[in-house]
Formats: sequence, C-alpha cells, structure tokens
Amino acid sequence: MSAREIAGRTALYAVLAAVTVLVCFPLIWAFFTSMKPKEEIFLWPPTLWPETWTLENYRALLEGRDAYFQAGAASGTAVPPSAFFLDWFVNSLIVTTGTTVISTAVSTLAAYSLTRFRFPGQRAVPYLALVGYMVPSIIFVFPMFLVMVEFRLTDTLLSLILGYVCITLPFCMWLMWAFFRGVPIEIEEAALVDGASRLRVFWEIVLPTAWPGIVAAAIFTLIVSWNDYLFGRVFMNSMENLPLTVGVMHFFDGTHVDWGLMMASSVLMTVPMALLFMLLQRHLVAGFGAGAVKG
Amino acid sequence: MDVRLERLSKSFGANPVLKSLDLTFPERRFVTLLGPSGCGKTTLLRLIAGLERASEGAIWFGDRRVDHLAPGERNIAMVFQSYALYPTMDVAANIGYGLRVRGIPRAERGEKVGAVARVLEIAHLLARKPRALSGGQRQRVALGRAMVRKPDIFLMDEPLSNLDAKLRATMRGELKRFHLDLETTSIYVTHDQLEAMTMSDLIAVMDQGVVQQYGTPEEVYDRPANLFVAGFIGSPPMNFAEVEVASDAGAPVLRLAGRTIPVPPQFDLAAAPRRLTLGIRPQDVRIAAPGDAGAIPGTVWMTELIGSERLIEVEIAPRLRITAEVKSEVRAALNAPAAVAFETTKLHLFDPATGLALRRRA
Repeated sequence: MSAREIAGRTALYAVLAAVTVLVCFPLIWAFFTSMKPKEEIFLWPPTLWPETWTLENYRALLEGRDAYFQAGAASGTAVPPSAFFLDWFVNSLIVTTGTTVISTAVSTLAAYSLTRFRFPGQRAVPYLALVGYMVPSIIFVFPMFLVMVEFRLTDTLLSLILGYVCITLPFCMWLMWAFFRGVPIEIEEAALVDGASRLRVFWEIVLPTAWPGIVAAAIFTLIVSWNDYLFGRVFMNSMENLPLTVGVMHFFDGTHVDWGLMMASSVLMTVPMALLFMLLQRHLVAGFGAGAVKG
Repeated sequence: MDVRLERLSKSFGANPVLKSLDLTFPERRFVTLLGPSGCGKTTLLRLIAGLERASEGAIWFGDRRVDHLAPGERNIAMVFQSYALYPTMDVAANIGYGLRVRGIPRAERGEKVGAVARVLEIAHLLARKPRALSGGQRQRVALGRAMVRKPDIFLMDEPLSNLDAKLRATMRGELKRFHLDLETTSIYVTHDQLEAMTMSDLIAVMDQGVVQQYGTPEEVYDRPANLFVAGFIGSPPMNFAEVEVASDAGAPVLRLAGRTIPVPPQFDLAAAPRRLTLGIRPQDVRIAAPGDAGAIPGTVWMTELIGSERLIEVEIAPRLRITAEVKSEVRAALNAPAAVAFETTKLHLFDPATGLALRRRA
C-alpha cells in the first residue's frame, strides 16, 4: 500500500469514526444518564460517566414503581405513569408485530400479482402507491380518526394496527414490486415444468428468493410502527392502551421531567430494535438471485 | 414419443405470432426450430411446454392430447436460455427439485442426482449455490435438472447463447451426445444456423409465425424452398441477382449484367416467369480472369480474410455485388478488374413474385 493510499484510508476511517460517534452520542448519553441516580443527572458541569451506578430507573419502569414523584404514589391519589411502562411495551409489541405481519404479507402478495399477472392499471398501481406514501401522515390521521370513530375502534390496538398498515403498505408494496421485478420469471417457469403447482412455486421458489426484499419491507414497517407518535396520540386515550412513544411522554409532568425514567425508557425502546437489526441485517445484505439468471 | 401440432395458432392480443402450424416432431429425433428473433420459435416451444396457451389448434404427445395440461403434467424437461436455476438452492437441490415435487424419497433422489452429476462431471459442485458457478457449470446443472427426470420430450430454448464461442462449440457436441444417450425427442430453439446444421436431424426454418421449410439440414441448405430460407441459411449469405430469361438460338438462357448464363440442367424454364431471382452461394462462385469466357466481369469491391478462406466481393453492375468464398491464397487488389464464374449445377432460381424456389427436375 502506498503512502498515498494509507493517508486516504486513514482519512476515510477518521471521517467514519467521527460520524459514528456523532450518531451514537445521543444513545450513549441516554444509556449513561439512565444509570445515574437523580442527583447526579443534574450535576453541573455534566458528566458522561456515572459516579454512582444505579438500576433504580429500570427497576421503577419494570416494577411499575414511581421513582421520582414519590409523593404522588405515597398519597395514593394516582397510579404513577411508570406503572404502565410494561403495558405500553406490550402494546407497542403487539401493534408492531401485527402491522408488520399484515403489511409484509399483503404487500408481498400484491407486488407478486403486480409483476406476474396482466390486468388494467398494472403499471400505474405501484407508482400511485408511491405517491400515496409521499403524502405526510398528518394529512391522513384525522380523516382516519373519524373512520375509527365510525367503526368504534378508537382507543383499541386494532386502530393503530390498521392506521400503520395504511401508511406502510403502499411503500412496502412498491419495494416488493421493485424486488419481484428482479426475480426472473424463468425460475418460476422452470419449477412449473419440474411439476410444481403455482402455490408451491410461490412458496418454495419465489418467497425464498424474495426473502431479502421481505426483510427490508418488514424492517421498514417495524421502524414506522414502533416509532410512530402521531397515530398513538390521536387514536388512543386510556393510559393502559398507549403505545410506548406516547406513554413515555407522561414522564413529563408539567414542571418536572423525570430524565432518569425518560432515558431508561429510551434505552429499553431501542434495545429490541437494535437486536432485530443485528439479527436481520445479514439477510438484508445477502445478495439474492446473483447467478440464477445470466443477464 | 412423437409430438404433433395441429393447426396451432397463437396471438398476443391482435398480434398473430403463430399461424396455423401443422408440424410433426418424430420420436427420438433432434429437431431444431430455426429463425430470426421474433419469428415465433420460442413461443412455439413455450406452447409445447405448456407455459403459454394456444389460441387455436391441438398439441399431441404420441396419442395423448396435451394442450389443456399444465407444464408439470406433460412430463417434459426444459432448458432455458438463462438456465433459470433456483438461486436459493444448491446444485443438488436444483437438479433434484423435480424429483422432490414428485415425492421421490430422499435416498433415491440422492442416487439419481449423483448419477446425473457424474455423467455431467459436476459431482464436485453439488453443494454449491448457482451464483458460485461459471456459465458452463450452470449450463450443466440446467441440463442435469432436465435429464434426471427421464422426460418424454426434451425442450431447449437457445441453451448455448450465453456461453463463449469455445465453450459453445464443446457444448454443442455434448448436447448432441446427451440426446443420443437419452433417446428422447428433443426440440431445440436457436437463431444460430451453425447450431442447427451441426446438431439437428430435422430443421424447421421459421419466419413470421410460419414454418418456411421443414427438412434435413442437407435439404434446407441444398434445396431451400424459398428466398427467405435461401438467404437465412448459409454463411456468408447466398448471393441474389435479378435475371432475365432469354432465348439464345432457341435454347433458353439467363441474362445477368449483360452476359448470358446457360440454364442449369436441373431446371425446366418452359413455364417459368420471364424474370427470375438467381441465387448462388459464395462457396459456389469462382474468381476467374477478367477475359474468361462465361465469366461475368467486374471490379473488386472488397476483400475479407476469414481464416482459411477469403471473401471477395466483385461489383458486376452498379450496386450489384457478388461475393465469392475462395482459398485465402487467392489475392485480389481493391478496384482491380476481376470476373466471377458460377458453378451452374449449384444455381438456385426463385420466382420473385412469390419468393418460391422453381421446381427442379426429378
């Protein structure tokens, strides 16, 4: 490697390292803050590394105890918001899983039909879907709320699932459509000639080939439905039915913000997503189809 | 098992692709569908495979009518131009998929796949995915997938077109060998006349959805049925020139560029039209000295060396050039005078109005 190349590499890694630190800093800060006792969080000048490590905030969230507003809990006038954290977590899990399953399954089937069967509007549908995705969801949310009221679905997890499916499905379908267009029809025909039924061809040949695309669509849906605040804020009211994003806003209480709980919640919200990414990124990156058809 | 097509037609919308074909592919023969792109040859193959539905007509495999059957019910095997290997399966699974679909137990499947892989010399590749294979290896896997099931009919859609020239020559021989070993009726689609000539028992030359001529390689080469076949088969392509039928001392002669050519003995021009299209293959044209009696004089327009042969184009009239394929030792300077002489027994004559070849004496 020449000196010039070494310098180039060094510069590249320096830039990458800087970007990584920049991106990760809020997460790191959140993690360390969540491990600090209350007094230390507000120390001035602030410190990154906790002097005293504590799991108090996590315990409060996971045991449903109020860590900061002790007085409120002691007086028995109200259940502290942190008591609902596990409910919110489960709600978010249900909503996210439901949305992802529905959105991915429907978009995969729809995209497959768009690339494989001839019908009027076949070309227009994917682009229209994309246009639909470009409209900001704030425009959809109130009409959708009225629809949910009509169907008596407000304040139910189903309303959230339906809402998220509405906003994620078009893009997922477009994504899968682009993906299926890259899956050569000859491999399906070869399987038909080999004696497989259409359904079997779809199940054994098409789906495994499209797997990276399905994973990509699923990840997109997961991120949208796990992180969304707007729909949860508009559709839901009962404390026990909120998703995580809306729920943790209750740690802001007028004059006080319980930063410890807030940061611990952030970490707990991030962990499942991070784990999932680590598990799935292999599939995302995995090259597909290369070698099946000579182009 | 023979394959019979009866009045088979296929249209895509208002666009007819195959026009009422009647064709029989005899049992165990290697038949090639040859034609330029868009002539309908691949569509015909897909109809036989069951990947397309015919608009009209019937397809018979032996005495079984199959045009209503799904591809999987026809017991055919097909090799696609793109190989169409299953990208997520390894080579063994690719070859064995058809057996798996038919519920053949794993052990038996393994045996059969192994046997085919040994024949194709790909036994060491069984655990690889298609993307880790070279073009030639993929080709063999595709063949293996077709062979392992012992199909009644073996269909191939331009299987060699993605290979480089050298490998193509090798695979041509191997495909022919496999056909002989398999003893299966094979239908092969190509636009490459060399493949068609070297491998086929019979060639169906197609153009515009119609079979222009159906016969042995010798027949389509030596006695092309019409102008299309004459121009399509043979490399370099046949020379064509308009000639006039005249009379020289009572005997009919052909007049070309002011010279007379004796009428080839194989033709009787009594009932022929006055104007004809003459065809002569470059291999049957000789370069003669400019003063040679019976030769047609002109000037050398272009020469090309193609290995052991040389192509010499001689302009015998404005915009009328005749190509001769001669030994490479024959030299000709550009724009120098030269003359061409035809091997009269090898002349072809066509009716320019219909394009059909003139009938020859028996």
